[in-house]
Amino acid sequence: MPERDVDIVIIGSGAGGGAVASVLAPLVARGLRVVVLEWGAKLREEEYTGREVEMASRLYFDSGGTFTRDRSLTLAYGRAFGGSTVVYTGTSLTVPEAVIRRWDVPGLGFADVLARSQKYRGENNVHLLPEEDINDNNRLFLAGCRALGYHVEQFPLNLKGCRGSSLCNLGCPNRAKQGTHRVQLPRAEAQGVEVVTNCRVTRIGDRVCEAVVANPGYGEPSAWEPGEYRVRAKVVVVCAGGAVNSPALLLRSGFGDRLPMLGRYLSLHPALILVGEHERPISNFHGHPKSYYCDEFWERERFLLETCFYFPFVTAKNLIGFGAEHSELMRSFPRLQMILVLALDPALPDNRVLLGRDGEPVVDYTLTPQVLDSLHASMVASARVFFAAGAKRVHAPAGRSFFIDAADADRVAQVIPRDNVKPGKISITSAHLMGGCRMGRDAADSVTDSWGRVHGVPWLFVADSSLFPQCSEVNPYLTVMALADRVAEGIRNNIGELLA
Amino acid sequence: MKSLPPAEVELLRVLAARIVPETGELDAAGMGRFLAIVDGALMDREPAVRRKFATFLGVLRRAPVLRYGRPFEKLPAERQDAVLAWLEDCPVGLLRAGFWGLKAMVFMGYYGQPETNALIGYAPERDGGGRLHA
Repeated sequence: MPERDVDIVIIGSGAGGGAVASVLAPLVARGLRVVVLEWGAKLREEEYTGREVEMASRLYFDSGGTFTRDRSLTLAYGRAFGGSTVVYTGTSLTVPEAVIRRWDVPGLGFADVLARSQKYRGENNVHLLPEEDINDNNRLFLAGCRALGYHVEQFPLNLKGCRGSSLCNLGCPNRAKQGTHRVQLPRAEAQGVEVVTNCRVTRIGDRVCEAVVANPGYGEPSAWEPGEYRVRAKVVVVCAGGAVNSPALLLRSGFGDRLPMLGRYLSLHPALILVGEHERPISNFHGHPKSYYCDEFWERERFLLETCFYFPFVTAKNLIGFGAEHSELMRSFPRLQMILVLALDPALPDNRVLLGRDGEPVVDYTLTPQVLDSLHASMVASARVFFAAGAKRVHAPAGRSFFIDAADADRVAQVIPRDNVKPGKISITSAHLMGGCRMGRDAADSVTDSWGRVHGVPWLFVADSSLFPQCSEVNPYLTVMALADRVAEGIRNNIGELLA
Repeated sequence: MKSLPPAEVELLRVLAARIVPETGELDAAGMGRFLAIVDGALMDREPAVRRKFATFLGVLRRAPVLRYGRPFEKLPAERQDAVLAWLEDCPVGLLRAGFWGLKAMVFMGYYGQPETNALIGYAPERDGGGRLHA
């Protein structure tokens, strides 16, 4: 088996791994060798086709449809040079101070997270879209929420030269989204960091990673020849594979015995995609899909409403029912307004990543009655927003009938009964996977300290969304970058000690 | 299809026509694309997932025998719809989830074809902003 000797191994190149690579890149000039091992491929520019099934299969694990153990949710998380930052919409929110207080991680303060978040807002060209670039799908959400007196904010977005393809979740074909594949990774590579794509790390030993390189038949070939490798890390290993793969890799590597919390406290922001139909065509798939969010129900009913606009297959599978009614609604695609709901779920020890008999991750997650209450309340609130925006009818997955007509706008709570919110029947998804290697005090309550160092393993760090002790309660990528920045700074500041 | 035996493929066609009626009107090329997408999705997944999918199809075929005395594909269309509606709302979570998975496969096979996007009025453009401002 070929062996490679480096000083620092970073596993994963998404929001976490990309930020770490960028912060540690100056160490290359001091003679250290830094390598990023990324499972996914680096697509050539012409391979960003915007074709839904093709892009989903190339940029997501399981095409964006990984089932949880009880099959009540599907999970969408990226696998690419740039990780999930290739396939998000670029929403760049700073985590609220109240959330950091709730996390209650010793040594982690809001001022620190805020400063690091601002750093990445600057690096990633985060700004608000000008009003003239906002399409009807977003404007109608704003109008509906305002008519109801709901509080709405505009999303800051990390775009440069956005041409409004609306294909963000399939990888921007215009190079506009400023993910780590556009900003942090190229910068790190320019300073001498090596990024090895199509490279899956299968196990971590004592300062050594076992990895397999296999080119998938698309994208640029890996910098390393296909085959198995042992990669020795003289200084540190940084695990940034995300909230499913980081805990799974550590479990497979035998760290579960000394870390009883490993894999636990997973939270997912369980999500629904809801649609309202207007009389006339609206602009919905031209222009950026995500401009506004409503946090009216953030504290009390524990959900957020966000604008969104998805593609035909994703839309179809998020509707309830089948047959003629379903087809009728799909044929009204140019008249559809969409809302994405995010339930703010609690972090519970039994919601966790496990290993199956084949050693692959299994996500064991149970939707609590409180989360189902939130999802129900969010359907009612969304229906009200659609009608307030002028929709002629609304499709709510838990509705008594496939369509709710505007004539029933005043009684949406009655026509969307809580009893109809049935997991398995209703399409519930998650693209915000958090926890599993949570930060905390010691191994009795967590996996790492507040600097991402794994308890009791001085050469092993975690730097991704698995660090979150609870959900972020907002779109998480900027917080992932902020925490990864902190992890990398800790490594850089202690490099002398770590080298010794 | 590599992922399913021929009898299951035929059942899938029958089910697809109830779930997305337009699949019944696909020409040979369109049906070929439909089956290729479903096959690709199944082959991309673990063998255990393929086995579960095939098992669910088998359950769906035989379950109506108890109530109607005939397998699913021999039922009239309205009874087929009644069986599917029951599955979607049935008390057993795993069966609901199984039906959801079946629907997802059929939707992927049909709506995942770029050729069908135009039929529902979906026509994204790289320069969508230009169209927005036109």
